[in-house]
Amino acid sequence: MNLRIEEIGDVSCVAPVGRLDFDAAPGFQEALERVMSGAGKSPAAVIIDGTGLEYVSSAGLRAFLLAARAAQRSGISFALCALQPAVREVFELSGFSRIISVHPDRASALAQAQQGRV
Amino acid sequence: MDHPPVSSRARTARTSLTLPVVLTPVLRWADAARAKVRGLAQRLVEGRGPYARAFENLIVALVIFSIASIGVESIPRLPEWATRALRVAEIVVVAIFTFEYLLRIVAARNKFAFIFSYQGLVDLLAIAPFYLLGFDARWLRALRLLRLLRVLKLQTHFLETVVEERTRELAEKNAALEKAQAQLKAELEVARSLQLAILPAAFPARPGCEAAARMIPATTMGGDFYDYIELPDGEIGLVIADVSGHGVPAAFFMAVARTNLHELAVHHTDPGECLAHTNDALCAQNPLDLFVTVFYCVLDPKSGVLRYANGGHNPPYIRRAAGTVETLRGAGGLVLGAMSGGRYPTHTVQLLPGDRLVLFTDGVTEAFNPAEELYGAQRLADEVHVHGGGTPAALVERICQSVTNFAGTAPQSDDITLTVLTWGAP
Repeated sequence: MNLRIEEIGDVSCVAPVGRLDFDAAPGFQEALERVMSGAGKSPAAVIIDGTGLEYVSSAGLRAFLLAARAAQRSGISFALCALQPAVREVFELSGFSRIISVHPDRASALAQAQQGRV
Repeated sequence: MDHPPVSSRARTARTSLTLPVVLTPVLRWADAARAKVRGLAQRLVEGRGPYARAFENLIVALVIFSIASIGVESIPRLPEWATRALRVAEIVVVAIFTFEYLLRIVAARNKFAFIFSYQGLVDLLAIAPFYLLGFDARWLRALRLLRLLRVLKLQTHFLETVVEERTRELAEKNAALEKAQAQLKAELEVARSLQLAILPAAFPARPGCEAAARMIPATTMGGDFYDYIELPDGEIGLVIADVSGHGVPAAFFMAVARTNLHELAVHHTDPGECLAHTNDALCAQNPLDLFVTVFYCVLDPKSGVLRYANGGHNPPYIRRAAGTVETLRGAGGLVLGAMSGGRYPTHTVQLLPGDRLVLFTDGVTEAFNPAEELYGAQRLADEVHVHGGGTPAALVERICQSVTNFAGTAPQSDDITLTVLTWGAP
């Protein structure tokens, strides 16, 4: 699995590409931790762009859960957007969409992140 | 040539006739002697015994001495006696080096390979200048420099020792690693059989009810489980669950989740209430932040009423007696162990005689084939629709076969678990 990380103002957009399974989950989790507690100042919000995310296993869900918790502890807003249908179904069936906000696209996720700060 | 000269042919014939007769004992003796000499040579230059060590040390000492003597020799206006002593020493050193070189050739299994090996060439270069200079040709004086190559000879000796030592150390470490690995494997096997023993062996006997289940772990230890629970009033609890990840952590969490749910189910007969309590219990003892998806249902065998709650698990299928396949609604509750205080609504469905309930984990629907395609919910629903008319055991076997055939050579990435229940009026 590959990661593209983009800084938009003080919002970090992380776009995982490929399959987030048992083998890929630890690396993904570490990358999110680095984004949130980076060398400089931490971002105000982290948005996961799921456009290229093809599959999420239960170990992948755990990585999201841990990241969401870490974000909450550090006062960073955490959201997902643009999930592929199969991945969105996994988030809905597991109930994760009840505890992590999921947006249809990046624009609405960014708007929500801006609003949250005002 | 078509016709070789007669005399040559005659000589060949004579030799081949007389040689065996006269020389056989001699040749045999020579062979034995050669083997013995070779054995001795091998013991001296390749062995590990005290003689071999002494010989090795002697050679190294001589190499160091001869390198030093080359330095002393270059001092201008050396007294006559010193020059003579150095010359005698040089003859002795070269004689011993030559002896060693010949010994190594005798000892070598493949003589040609030894002569052209790094050590073989260095050994030869260390003595060659002496023999060439024996002719006292002035133009060969330059070759004296080649004697400096004895430094290389020294290096080959140390290199050999170091390599041997490292090889031995490596072999020892490998053996220790292999032993540790075998021990770990044996312990994991025990853990796996303990884990499989947690799974219920048989479905509680109730007239008209029949169930079958199967769990195929992806690694030695799985995170999936299923359970049958005998409840007060003769009801039966049915559980299917999938812990995030797999391996030893998932197996431990599975055991904790299964035990909690099994005990709480007896006190909280409402499925949703039972899941809420189990969730709180798991959140309180979850150092690794694992979670588990759980589908829990309670069947009243007398009436066929099925009450259920879903904590983040794939919604099961009901295959009606007529063959149609329905998905149980009410999915989307949060997985257990992720956040305490969650609520899980209880839903109810009426089973009719001949209906089949099919519970499964995502190891079934998310099995990949070598082309990285998913098995998918549709294939499973088709199997249930077409082959669900038989016994639960037959359907479980049928689906496992179908998934295995689909996956082909692709490695199994997740545990596969299935439970099928049929209900008929008692």
